[in-house]
Amino acid sequence: MERTRDILAKDELEEREISFTTIPFGPQHPASGHFHASVKCVGEEVVELTPYPGYLHRGFERLMEYRNHAQNTMLCDRICVLDPFSNEMGYVNVVEKASGIEAPQRGKFIRTIMAELGRILSHITWIGIISMALGLDSGTRIAWGDREKIIRLNELATGGRIYPCYFIPGGVRRDFPEGFKEEILKVLDYIENQMKLYDNLVFYNTTFTMRLENVGILRAEDAVALGITGPNLRASGIATDVRKDEPYDAYPYVDFKVVFKGKGDAYSRALCRRGEIIESISIVRQLLEKIPEGDFRVKWGLTKKVPSGEAYFCCEAARGELCFHMVSDGTERPYRVKVRGPSFSHTLAGFPHLAKGVYIADIPAIYWSLDPCPADMDR
Amino acid sequence: MSIFRPAAIMRNLFKKPMTLQFPYEALPPVEGYRGRHLLDLEKCTGCPVCSLACPNKAIELVKVGEEEKEGKKVEKKYPQIHLGKCCFCGLCEEYCPRDAIHMTQEAMISIMDKSQAIYSPDKLSQPVG
Repeated sequence: MERTRDILAKDELEEREISFTTIPFGPQHPASGHFHASVKCVGEEVVELTPYPGYLHRGFERLMEYRNHAQNTMLCDRICVLDPFSNEMGYVNVVEKASGIEAPQRGKFIRTIMAELGRILSHITWIGIISMALGLDSGTRIAWGDREKIIRLNELATGGRIYPCYFIPGGVRRDFPEGFKEEILKVLDYIENQMKLYDNLVFYNTTFTMRLENVGILRAEDAVALGITGPNLRASGIATDVRKDEPYDAYPYVDFKVVFKGKGDAYSRALCRRGEIIESISIVRQLLEKIPEGDFRVKWGLTKKVPSGEAYFCCEAARGELCFHMVSDGTERPYRVKVRGPSFSHTLAGFPHLAKGVYIADIPAIYWSLDPCPADMDR
Repeated sequence: MSIFRPAAIMRNLFKKPMTLQFPYEALPPVEGYRGRHLLDLEKCTGCPVCSLACPNKAIELVKVGEEEKEGKKVEKKYPQIHLGKCCFCGLCEEYCPRDAIHMTQEAMISIMDKSQAIYSPDKLSQPVG
């Protein structure tokens, strides 16, 4: 199909005095989240999309400089609300690396189990959101209902539903409660069963496939140049995963596949996430079998000082690579923390790139196929 | 694939709904839930550890009177918590050296007036219910 982009270059359109229409996308759009973009279009086709971030800027990096390392894990939860464990995982690991301590094996296993449950939680929420963006409302209700099951697990293990505040440098703050293993297995069985429903209702539903197939094709070289990571990069045919490339915590002890697809369109990105839910379920099962007994933490004092120096740590969050760079000046507080969140490049570089030359109706589909988190983007 | 499946429709008719009718019924709170704080005045020595552990500076030590220690008169202080600032992380509970502060399972703490969010030592020590 010939699109405006192919027929005329942007300058040519201006020269011919073709009138543009500018439509705001968000922050009040039902499918935008806390994100605003200005969409410039000719007729039904988008010529240019300009993102305006900042609606959810809370200055975490600055706030972290005023708090000690135990307190900062509370802030890390809030960087991405839908995937709190990965953020905590990144922070506690970077502090452990800088201070040269190591968490006990059981602590590492617990952290990995919770991070994988967080990934399932995040992907199931995403099924709900993309269903809403595409008008499949029953998918939204069912997915958000299933999300509750994992939130209940969070509550049982950590005492918090949305903000677990669970990891701490040197391990985790509590051990698993009694009978928690069985509870996890019950929920995993339930979700595995629900995946059949999602296949019928969402992933292989004609409404869903027709809206996403061949929309927003991201080529592998563009994806690398734009800094896209995680499932979005894997959907473009590059099988890279921090969990596999540089295994941390308990990932060396599990066997799993890196899910990737070749086409790079919005539908491949959706299928990648579907595959990841299934892989994560298998990872949690393996970890629950292998989890050792013993201590789950080494004591981390409130005023424990971290030797001066710097550390860098990367982990695989649900949305892509999440990296922490921390500089310590020898006190109990970090001198500077830099967070490299996955959604920043997805939304600010990937989204405008993909939105060129598509129809206006495809904008929510492309936006949510990237699974951005405005909280993570603005930080 | 057709989404019209009569068997599934019949099954759904007799299934329990996913949601609860909230104000009339609610999920029971779990063991270890981090809700409103409970202060044990007998154990609390008035040391500032909880206020130092709080990431949001929600805990303030307030003077409640004077007591005699080794023949000297010293101020008696107890923590006062501003629940509007509290993020319910539970660090105060974790770092309390005397095990005097506990998080209860009480989650229904909505208020209509901001000033009610400040929990004085007296209010904090009252059992939940």
